[in-house]
Amino acid sequence: MIRPGVWLAAAFSLIFCTWPASAHHSFAAEYDSTKTISIKGTVAKIAWVNPHAYVYISAKDQNGKPVTWAFETLSPNALAIRGWSRTSLKIGEEVTVDGYLAKDGKPLEDGSLHANSRQITTADGRRVFVGSSAPDAPQ
Amino acid sequence: MKRRSPSSVLWLSAIALLCGLQMIAAAQTVSNEKTPVGPTPRTPEGKVDFSGVWDPGLSFTNLGQVPLQPWADALYKERRANLSKDDPEGHCLPAGVPRISPFPQKFVQTPSLVVVLDEGNVHSYRQFFLDGRGHPKDMDPLWMGDSIAKWDGDTLVVDTIGLNDKTWLNGQGVPHSDQLHVTERYRRPDLGHLSVEITLEDPKAFTRTHTFTRTYTLLQNWEIHEYVCNEFNVDADHLVGK
Repeated sequence: MIRPGVWLAAAFSLIFCTWPASAHHSFAAEYDSTKTISIKGTVAKIAWVNPHAYVYISAKDQNGKPVTWAFETLSPNALAIRGWSRTSLKIGEEVTVDGYLAKDGKPLEDGSLHANSRQITTADGRRVFVGSSAPDAPQ
Repeated sequence: MKRRSPSSVLWLSAIALLCGLQMIAAAQTVSNEKTPVGPTPRTPEGKVDFSGVWDPGLSFTNLGQVPLQPWADALYKERRANLSKDDPEGHCLPAGVPRISPFPQKFVQTPSLVVVLDEGNVHSYRQFFLDGRGHPKDMDPLWMGDSIAKWDGDTLVVDTIGLNDKTWLNGQGVPHSDQLHVTERYRRPDLGHLSVEITLEDPKAFTRTHTFTRTYTLLQNWEIHEYVCNEFNVDADHLVGK
C-alpha cells in the first residue's frame, strides 16, 4: 500500500512542477490555481488570436441565467504545433471546460467571464486544446 | 535554524524526484515530428550549416543559478513576490538576449551573416555578423543588442553587447544590467541537434561569470508561424500578481 504522503507529494508535484512548453505571461499573476472550475456549455466563438486563442462558451450560471465564458488557451502557433486548428472545435458543439478563474474576477471588455482553460473535452470524449498557458501553470 | 524532520525531508525529496521525472517527460518536442538523424550539414565553403527551424523544447527555461549582486538579488526577490506580473514578455516586449520563448527559431545562414528569426514572444530577429566587423562605438542600448561572430573550428562563437536593462533573463525575473556581455558557442553535432553554451558576464549585476547550455531539435517539416503578440493582449490589464 502506498502511504498517503506519497500521494500528497505526487499531487504537489503536479501542481507546482509542470512546465508546459508555452509562455507569454506568468500564470500565477493572472489566474488562481486554487479556484478550479468546470463549465459545461456550447462553443459560442473561437478567437484565433495572439498571444492566446480564446474559446467562448455559452453556459448558464447557478440561477439558470445565460452567461458567456472566455477561456484563455495556448497561442495559435503553440496549438498548431500540437496538431490543433481553429476548426478543431465547432460552433455550437457541446463541451466541458476545466480551468482556473482569473484572480481579479473582472470580466473581459465584452462582458464575458474570464478564466484559463486547462482542458476542453467534447461530448464524444475528445480532449482539445489541452494545456495551460505559462511555465508556472498547473497542468 | 529550524531543522526539518526526516519525514519532511523524504517528502521534499519525493516531490523533487517527481518534478524531475515530469520535466524529463515534458522535455520532448511538442510537435509530432521525429528528430531527423544524419551527419552535420555543411555549406559549400565547408562550414557547419546552422540553417533550419529549431525547437528549443523545454530548454527555453534553462538558466541555472545566476550569481547576483545584492541589489540584483533584491530586485529578483521583488519580482518573485509579485509573481512576475511585470514580466516584459507579458506586455509583448522583446525577450532580449539570451532569453528565448518556447516557440521555434529559424536560422538563415550566408558566409558573412547568420540571421535568427524569432517566432515569439514577439517577432524579433538577431544578426550575427561574420564579416569581421567589430561592435559599433557609443551604442544606444538595444533590446536585442549587437552581435558579432567568428568561427572556432566547427563552433560559431557569437559575442553580444549593447543590451538595455529592461529585459529579464527568464520568466522568474532574474535581472541584468546594461553591462551584460553574452558569449554564445553554437554547435551542430549532427543533423537533428543544435547546442549552445551561453556565458554571461555582468560586472554591475553578477558576482561572477555564469555559464549554461541549451539544446534544440530540428523541425524539418515545420515553418515558423506568424505571432502578433499585441493583437489581443487582454492579459496586460489582468496581471494582478498576488
